Amino acid sequence: MLKGLVTVVQVITLGAVAATVFLLLTFTPTSPTREAAANLGILGEQVWVRSCAGCHGADGEGGIGPTLAGGAVVEAFPDRAEQIALVTDGFEGMPAFGGRLTPAEISAVVDYTRNELAQR
Amino acid sequence: MTSQVSTDAQTSDGIGAAPLAALAILAGAAVAVLVGVYGQVHDPTGEATITLFFTGTLHFKAWAATLVLVFALFQAFSALWMYGRLGWAVPSWLGPVHRLSGTLALLISLPVVYHCLWSLGFETEAGETRRFLHSLFGCVVYGAFTTKILAVRLHGMPKWLLPSVGGLLFAALIGVWCTSSLWFFQNIGFEI
Repeated sequence: MLKGLVTVVQVITLGAVAATVFLLLTFTPTSPTREAAANLGILGEQVWVRSCAGCHGADGEGGIGPTLAGGAVVEAFPDRAEQIALVTDGFEGMPAFGGRLTPAEISAVVDYTRNELAQR
Repeated sequence: MTSQVSTDAQTSDGIGAAPLAALAILAGAAVAVLVGVYGQVHDPTGEATITLFFTGTLHFKAWAATLVLVFALFQAFSALWMYGRLGWAVPSWLGPVHRLSGTLALLISLPVVYHCLWSLGFETEAGETRRFLHSLFGCVVYGAFTTKILAVRLHGMPKWLLPSVGGLLFAALIGVWCTSSLWFFQNIGFEI
């Protein structure tokens, strides 16, 4: 009985491994990849998901980092250049992204927080 | 003593134990490298994947990886039990349950590694030490798992191989968990 269960789970797992490999090699994302996003002008969202959402929340609602949505970031940084400087150099608990992101990526994600997240 | 050395040195099929072990280790190394190469070459999509009933994919991954760790702890415990290290009688159900826990650990890890590879990729950017170590440990996990399966399935392996690769797998899993779930729970909290 128990051995039969083990065999069934092993077969299911083997199938799942095959399906995972298949999906990794063939599945196309519903939105452009990081590389393509740069060409389509939505690089900011991609950088946000990859580098910022983990601390500030998926929609900028806040988490370990402060809330950025609803225009909060524009209130805190009326000057866009100040926000770029903060993202580049870091501040208190927030790491510096200057060495991790390109200036274009920082600019894009700052615009994303000021424009897209403001509507959420 | 002599017969033990003979058993360790050569299998019943005439293949030496050392070449067989080398084959298993090389296969595991190949899997680890392939996983890493895919993560590096594939353009990360940045998309969320599976969430089930969790708030987001990262929440799902943190808890799924924790469940995998629980299974891994049971794997280590039951292995010690089976090999008589605990001094307890070994019940007949322990072997199947040991295999079941290992299989379930692999099964649960699949959606986690899928998001890691397909959506995030292998981290090599400067300053991302945690992510880099996580990527590295993740590759080692699947490589060690491959070698461990081969060590179990193929007869005539040297006796040091299974506990060694099992230990490596367990240590790599601890590394994976510490650089992901532990970080998540410390920085985001125990959110579902």
